[in-house]
Amino acid sequence: MAKIIVVTSGKGGVGKTTSAAAIATGLALRGNKTVVIDFDVGLRNLDLIMGCERRVVYDLINVIQGEAGLNQALIRDKRTENLHILPASQTRDKEALTPEGVEKVLETLSQEYDFIVCDSPAGIEHGAQLAMYFADEAIVVTNPEVSSVRDSDRILGLLASKTRRAERSEPPVREHLLITRYDPNRVTSGDMLTLEDVREILAINLVGLIPESEAVLRASNQGVPVVHDMDSDAGQAYADTVSRLLGEDVPLRFHEYQKKGLLSRMFGGGRR
Amino acid sequence: MSLNMDRVASAFTFKGGMLPMTVMELTSADPEQIRAQLAGKVSQSPAFFQHTPVVLSVEQLDEPHLALERICAVCRAHKLLPVAVRGGTDPVKQSAWALGLGWFPPQEARPRAVEEAPLAAEPQPEGEASPAPAVGRIYRGTVRSGQQVTAPEGDLVVVGAVNPGAEVLAAGSVHVYGPLRGRALGGIHGDRQAGIFCKELHAELLSLAGNYKRLEDIDPRLLNQPVQVQLRDDQLNISSLG
Repeated sequence: MAKIIVVTSGKGGVGKTTSAAAIATGLALRGNKTVVIDFDVGLRNLDLIMGCERRVVYDLINVIQGEAGLNQALIRDKRTENLHILPASQTRDKEALTPEGVEKVLETLSQEYDFIVCDSPAGIEHGAQLAMYFADEAIVVTNPEVSSVRDSDRILGLLASKTRRAERSEPPVREHLLITRYDPNRVTSGDMLTLEDVREILAINLVGLIPESEAVLRASNQGVPVVHDMDSDAGQAYADTVSRLLGEDVPLRFHEYQKKGLLSRMFGGGRR
Repeated sequence: MSLNMDRVASAFTFKGGMLPMTVMELTSADPEQIRAQLAGKVSQSPAFFQHTPVVLSVEQLDEPHLALERICAVCRAHKLLPVAVRGGTDPVKQSAWALGLGWFPPQEARPRAVEEAPLAAEPQPEGEASPAPAVGRIYRGTVRSGQQVTAPEGDLVVVGAVNPGAEVLAAGSVHVYGPLRGRALGGIHGDRQAGIFCKELHAELLSLAGNYKRLEDIDPRLLNQPVQVQLRDDQLNISSLG
């Protein structure tokens, strides 16, 4: 049985798809058979980030509506073994995403894969709720700013009440906090919330901290998940995140990284 | 942080409010029976019947059609002002609207345990007369944005944080053993003795028996402090518990 992980946030633009792509790739690189599903019907992006947009023929909605088999819609990743992508539909109506249909797809995938990563759309509507409904674990992607933290808080409330595990009174969805676009310089200057601020409000386990990095934008535009770029800080941070997801104890990095010339400010604050 | 509500040209502003409201839970649809009971109540506590706004709850009734107009007339004759109807069938809703009353959906399935003695002879102008001693509610964990935790009777104790965008309400007092960053409303049925207590004050809104203070109105020196909030002369009085 696969472990179903939803990557969600409430707020848009915080790095859900980037994180879903990087984490799914990271899990596959560690030898886990992994599939990543785009739930963002109508605004499909995952295929671009994964660099397989030209190979999309069928999508999740086609499968749900019985117009294509699951194996026809799954795209094998070219770079990484054990990794498949199930794209969203760009043209269909998002109402076509039914709970029964999604359950059936997840059940079938569960037989074959170790991990199913669900890339949630932004918001708290139908698509987002469906993406999280069947999850065993949730990665809540949060930027160090107040609106993102509040939206993540809202999502955590939904995870505790609007998931299959909650409705069946099973053990709750395991919640992980992933802080992205963290810029220690701007934290020091007071422009951003500190790591501690975010952790204090959301009060869940921190699974990773991804520094603001040019590597992420470059990776997105090239369609290569950033974990492949192990020279970059973001790539390493995602690799650490994957290790922690797999239960390893990895010390936190990059939360006090400073650019050259600012070393003196490094110990001024935020060190924990 | 300003909501920009003070534009010169605007004739009004919409504000969310939590007002104490008496709910008249009907267990009979017979206007005459209601009249008889009301007459008895008026003699018991005349002070209560002074154009007091009430919400007529018809959830307990199992009748698709109600003589709503006659019931309202009986209420008005006893100086109760029906302002809205709660629950009931679609025809009930339509006739409420036709009478210029608001309509509220029925409350979600509530425990019916305390309702075996409906409308007990309780002279106090409280929301729902409850014969049983008020039982509180203890909530463990973080109350998150968008969540609402209510103690319809008695005190509410939250062992954890109340985050921004969350709301905690109690008929009695609200106790938060953690940071209070959301909205806290005590005495929601009008209990003026109720208080709010928290370990760390950063509330968006504090309200007791309908009187409220916003975060902006709170003395900054009290922020992030353990405090108690009490009602004094219709003013919320916040004092440090440190």
